[in-house]
Amino acid sequence: MTTRVVCFVNQFFGQLGGEERAGLGPQAMDGAVGAARAVQQALGEAGTVVATVVCGDNYAAEHPERAVAELVGLIGAAKPDLVVAGPAFLAGRYGVVCGALCAAVQAQLNVPAVTGMHAENPGVELHRRQVHILRTGAEATRMLEEVRRLVALGLKLVRGEAVGTPAVEGSFPRGVTRNVVAAESAADRAAAMLLDKLAGRPFTSEVPRPAFPSVPAARLVKTLEGATIALVTDGGLVPRGNPDGIEALNATRYGAYSIEGKTSLDAAQYDNPHRGYDTSWVKQDPHRLVPVDVARELEQSGAIGKLHETVYSTVGVATTLAHSARMGKEIADKLREAGVDAVILTST
Amino acid sequence: MRLELRWSDVQDMAASTVTRLSGRRLEVDLDALGVLLAADTRLTGLRLDLVHPGERCRIGRVFDVIAPRARLDGEDFPGVLGAVARAGDGRTLALSGVAVVVTDQQMDGVGTLAVIDMAGPTAALSAFGASHNLVLSAWPAPGTGRSEYLAAVRLAGLKAAVHLAWAARDVEPDRVEVFALPPSPRVPAELGHLPRVAYVFQIHSHQRPTGLDEGILYGDPVRRMLPTVVHPNEVLDGAVLRGFMGRSVTTWATQNHPVIRALYARHGRTLWFAGVVVTVAQATEPERLRSAFLTAGLVAHTLGADGAIFTKIGGGAPHVDMAQAASHCEKLGVRTTLLVEDMSTDGSADGMLLFDFPSVDALVNVGSSHEPLTLPPMDRVVGADDLAPRLLGETPATYGTLCGAIEQVGATRVMAEVR
Amino acid sequence: MTPVAVMVGANRIVQAAGIIHPLGNADLTPDEEKALRRRIVEQALQALRTEVARPTVFTRE
Repeated sequence: MTTRVVCFVNQFFGQLGGEERAGLGPQAMDGAVGAARAVQQALGEAGTVVATVVCGDNYAAEHPERAVAELVGLIGAAKPDLVVAGPAFLAGRYGVVCGALCAAVQAQLNVPAVTGMHAENPGVELHRRQVHILRTGAEATRMLEEVRRLVALGLKLVRGEAVGTPAVEGSFPRGVTRNVVAAESAADRAAAMLLDKLAGRPFTSEVPRPAFPSVPAARLVKTLEGATIALVTDGGLVPRGNPDGIEALNATRYGAYSIEGKTSLDAAQYDNPHRGYDTSWVKQDPHRLVPVDVARELEQSGAIGKLHETVYSTVGVATTLAHSARMGKEIADKLREAGVDAVILTST
Repeated sequence: MRLELRWSDVQDMAASTVTRLSGRRLEVDLDALGVLLAADTRLTGLRLDLVHPGERCRIGRVFDVIAPRARLDGEDFPGVLGAVARAGDGRTLALSGVAVVVTDQQMDGVGTLAVIDMAGPTAALSAFGASHNLVLSAWPAPGTGRSEYLAAVRLAGLKAAVHLAWAARDVEPDRVEVFALPPSPRVPAELGHLPRVAYVFQIHSHQRPTGLDEGILYGDPVRRMLPTVVHPNEVLDGAVLRGFMGRSVTTWATQNHPVIRALYARHGRTLWFAGVVVTVAQATEPERLRSAFLTAGLVAHTLGADGAIFTKIGGGAPHVDMAQAASHCEKLGVRTTLLVEDMSTDGSADGMLLFDFPSVDALVNVGSSHEPLTLPPMDRVVGADDLAPRLLGETPATYGTLCGAIEQVGATRVMAEVR
Repeated sequence: MTPVAVMVGANRIVQAAGIIHPLGNADLTPDEEKALRRRIVEQALQALRTEVARPTVFTRE
């Protein structure tokens, strides 16, 4: 009695196209298609991939509930014993829908589901509490080995076997606690931990820090009519030629671009290296990303006090948390120094 | 300051016509002790029971547990039982393997009172499942209010603790522990390189105000206590008691203070024990801030500590209070490690902490009190006659209801593992 | 991707018009597009004036 498996992949891993097909709605194909073939390979005799369901990344990101509902319907029709989604690596839109889909499959179809992605994929923090998510690399370099681990974990769930700790399985902590009896008293463990901390030796805290500490919301002290507003984007707007060499992926740099005296952005003078979405529309009309035209009108009509003369821009795809935080702080410092009161940040 | 704890290790305890220590066997004249304790007019119907490890017995309505100690030359539990006098300098008799368990017969909604199991897997989770326990039950005399009653039963427990330990006055101790710590600044040159470590001991939480007779520090109810410094020996020798509220804290653990013992064990070798700051968890934010600020000053500037360990008592507000004090210490360059209780009530790791101070990142946890636990059926219930029908059978409970499974001062090994 | 913005702690989040054209829509005429853009920017300004205590998503009805 082999295990019936349904795989979920995005348009790219379903071999239907790249960013230009990101708007594709959910559909099902027979058997193992595209990356799902790696799942079949890992299953061997233990199971059969009876169907591969696909959805475009943009469709999933823009209509999350509808996409998941449609996918659950397609998956249910194939009557699987197990659902394997992804792996999504560092692809954010893909990871988020993989996690959401697995959670929905578990809840609505009562079928075990597993997925895998990189630690910095936003899908991890959103869904690790509901779903077993395997840790993978940032790219598909070791996909075969990672899919093997993913399938092994999935089969454990199907068979009702005990799942090991996150460290053992190579998965993300699901955020549940269980009392165990340690080898030493808490007091002794604390003395040892403090001595490590004092000596600068690494130590492992027994309580995880909140992943994203809350940021107190700033208050706009001035009225809008008296305020200076700046425009910032992570959508990748750069002057033609990308003079600051902002990376197309894993950006570590941002640019500061003058809009002094400009009432609009001339498309011919701009470009966009962002690899995380199809940039043709914003290249065609940069205002679809950075609304200089509208902002200038609002300034002229007095609705806002002043439009800041510098636009800050970076490429926000697979950007590490560390670099994002650093760039954000640097940009904020510069804006504050320049007397800016508020920011409208366009994110793709 | 030099404290000598003269230990007699007891392996057996039985009722007898006289209280004496005979080899490893403690004989207790329960009648005479009962007469002594019943003299307190605030109490009536006083009863003493002996309960032994391995017995299929469950002790219910547990209010506090006290370790038997008796000063050979000084005041017992100064300020509460004995007169106010310095604790921690002299010779004190101590018994291992025996505990005095004080029960609360007055409280109606017993949800918050603990149990002790003497057999089965739940016995293994608590130190009190392995000790011979003298269980003290007494009822309030007519007209005795809540605070008065608790003061009276706790006092009875302290008297019983002294009575038992006093039995060892004429025998050679099995072992002697010496606790000697010179004044903090007097560090020999050759040990000057050792990191100086302080202990910040939150001894009470003002979530519930103390009663006038609720002595905690040398008998003072610490109502307006600002952070202050005490010698660690004072804590080991009865100067600090648990008040009348104390979830996952016993006087026994305070007397056997694990953090103080851990620091003494390493003193002069891997660290220099710089001293103890005692604090109270405040009820309002301005008071919490003032307390955190003063605590950090004592730790960093007065004790000159490089690092500090923190523990708390009580619930969520003290948890934040402790973290705030630690955060202030970190700002003054003192590295901190905190013992926290898992504050989540649903097993979710996200709710474990109620604070997020970036530098307060070295956390040890003492487990999740809310995690369910099933208490197995027993043959006998002591200390809770009215609850016996329920407590005899298999009882759903939590780790927090098992007295001694989780001690916030860090005496226990239960730990919440994040999965 | 508003859930991600909420998760990382952005306090004022305005729902835009799509990943590939957050402040536009190629299916509309240029005038209609600009009007849409203006509506979203005005909503952003309104959000800036609004006091919030935690991540808040401002949607258009």
